[in-house]
Amino acid sequence: MGSYDVIFYILSIVSLGAALGVIFFPSPIYSALMLAITMSGLAAMFFTLEAYFLAGVQLIVYAGAVVVLFVMVLMLFDLRKESQPFSGQKISNFFKAGIIAAASMALIIPLSTVFFIRTEKTKPVTTVDLAGTLFTKYVFAFEAIGILLLVVLVGALALAKSRGGTHE
Amino acid sequence: MGADKVEIAINTVKIAIIFLMMIQMVPLLVWLERRGSAFIQNRFGPNRVGPLGLMQLLADAVKFITKEQFVPANAVKFLFLAAPVIALVPAALAFAAIPLATPIHIDPFHLLGQSWGPYTIEMQSVRMNVGIIYILGVSSLGAYGLLIAGWASGNKYSLLGAIRASAQMISYELALGLAIVGILMIYGTFDLNKMIEMQQGPFSFQFMGQAYEISWLPNWGIFFQPLGALLFFIATFAESNRLPFDLPESEGELVAGFHTEYGGFKMLMFFMGEYGHMMVGAGLVTTFYLGGFQSPFVWQTYDYMLNLAIAHHGPGTVASALTTGYFLIWFSIKVGLLLWVFIWVRWTLPRFRYDTLMDLGWKTLLPWTLGNVALTAIVLYWARAM
Amino acid sequence: MSNALHVGLNHYLVVSSLLFMIGVAGVLVRKNVIVILMSIELMLNAVNLSFAAFSHFNQEPGGQVMVFFVMAIAAAEAAIGLAIAVAVYRKFNGIEIKLFENLKG
Repeated sequence: MGSYDVIFYILSIVSLGAALGVIFFPSPIYSALMLAITMSGLAAMFFTLEAYFLAGVQLIVYAGAVVVLFVMVLMLFDLRKESQPFSGQKISNFFKAGIIAAASMALIIPLSTVFFIRTEKTKPVTTVDLAGTLFTKYVFAFEAIGILLLVVLVGALALAKSRGGTHE
Repeated sequence: MGADKVEIAINTVKIAIIFLMMIQMVPLLVWLERRGSAFIQNRFGPNRVGPLGLMQLLADAVKFITKEQFVPANAVKFLFLAAPVIALVPAALAFAAIPLATPIHIDPFHLLGQSWGPYTIEMQSVRMNVGIIYILGVSSLGAYGLLIAGWASGNKYSLLGAIRASAQMISYELALGLAIVGILMIYGTFDLNKMIEMQQGPFSFQFMGQAYEISWLPNWGIFFQPLGALLFFIATFAESNRLPFDLPESEGELVAGFHTEYGGFKMLMFFMGEYGHMMVGAGLVTTFYLGGFQSPFVWQTYDYMLNLAIAHHGPGTVASALTTGYFLIWFSIKVGLLLWVFIWVRWTLPRFRYDTLMDLGWKTLLPWTLGNVALTAIVLYWARAM
Repeated sequence: MSNALHVGLNHYLVVSSLLFMIGVAGVLVRKNVIVILMSIELMLNAVNLSFAAFSHFNQEPGGQVMVFFVMAIAAAEAAIGLAIAVAVYRKFNGIEIKLFENLKG
């Protein structure tokens, strides 16, 4: 095991542990803080995958903006602790989730060993490559995302402004 | 030249030294802030303890440490104690990526009957080719310290301050990120060291296929991107929660905002975080727009200084270290001047109202930064296409 | 043994699928709408990780472009989801998923 492998294992344990924290902490604030740790861990994993730009965007967009938004909304609600954080048929839902997880893992792990796609390293995808692809091959999708964000902006404003019910 | 244990040890010590340097700047800045505010407001300021009141820092530190460590009854204890540390981390991490000077080259030498290979010590904690992205990403985590502090205090003023802080930081991060897009387009790199290299020499550019050179101006980013520099500097004020953007702790409305319940050393750590953000901001402005550690009006600086040092001390480690020291002094001068501007602005301008703050962020800074990006793109297209 | 521990594409895919499963479990077991939104973010992130891993091991920038798009969509989804949650909280003074039964279109 090289240092690369050790770093990978540490990062994956941190990310997965924090992700488990997200769904198991009864207090939603702690869930959100755990989510921030997961996002940071994944950003570090993008670093190990030589996707530096994505790592930065992951930190800026997810850890820096989306999760801060979550934390902010939760703090506005001031939910210290929920009386019953997990849904009624807690056991059965966990059971279902566990079965789905086990089945998927049973499918994924053999499949991933069959289709072992590790190619020889030539050169990593640089930010310049990423920008070139984004603004040539995927430029239509890029524009569509722009329109989507505009629509979301208007929609979020409309939702936030509405007082509920029909207002004159 | 492989990385042996000595090199790793040197680098570890260096990282600690750079961090401690940043922390040690805080008392000095506090002194400068108090004396500077007194100067601006025609008062004396702290002048009793030691010459010019310089020993006041030590007295303050002793006072901070010996205060009672107090946790309010309503607080969430773990998060309350963790928040000051979390507030300190992003600034420290971001500062690690800013290049302070040229690297020191240590020649091979003999010690204890062994020969030690040549070493190169970078004058920054981590040299990375995506420095800007890293700094922006890490400093966007700065909102957490304030949010957690405000919420965990169990005090409504703290909570209001924290929510203001996070909304403000998210809003101004947009302007901050877009303001440097212009400079990124011109230099075409995320690497801070390369960026500094490109700012060497006199002001020169290509336009319509012709090369122009103005020999009395340095080749700094601020002359290519004056608007971008101004917008970036304004946004760094908001990011470090300094007046006129210190709505999170505006004492007229919110007692002391997010750190109302904090006292003693915990309060000092918030201070360190704030001054750390200031230093990162000043360092970034220096690196992007003011030529980094390069000195103005001495073109081909690095070779010139190195040759000068070699002429006096002969080639080797000493010459390299002297050159590094020269650049470090220039970096400190530039950052110091910018920090003084931070303090100057704080004691000159009044605070914004919250709605005017948001208006400035979203309706003024954002359109101007977008316009700057578009203008830069058009000019670059014309200038480079011809 | 050392070969199996040597990190390749498969390791990233396994981590990604585990993360996705945790997200699914979160959606199934939690009652709080905001935590459910967080679990959805976890799932999207799992997908991002596998995209980035494929992109890295195949030297294909398309995967990273997809991550970019997923991030934009996830941010949009979070913004709208939170806006709805705030509206529901105002109306019913709570954000359990059960309250959404009362919505009429």
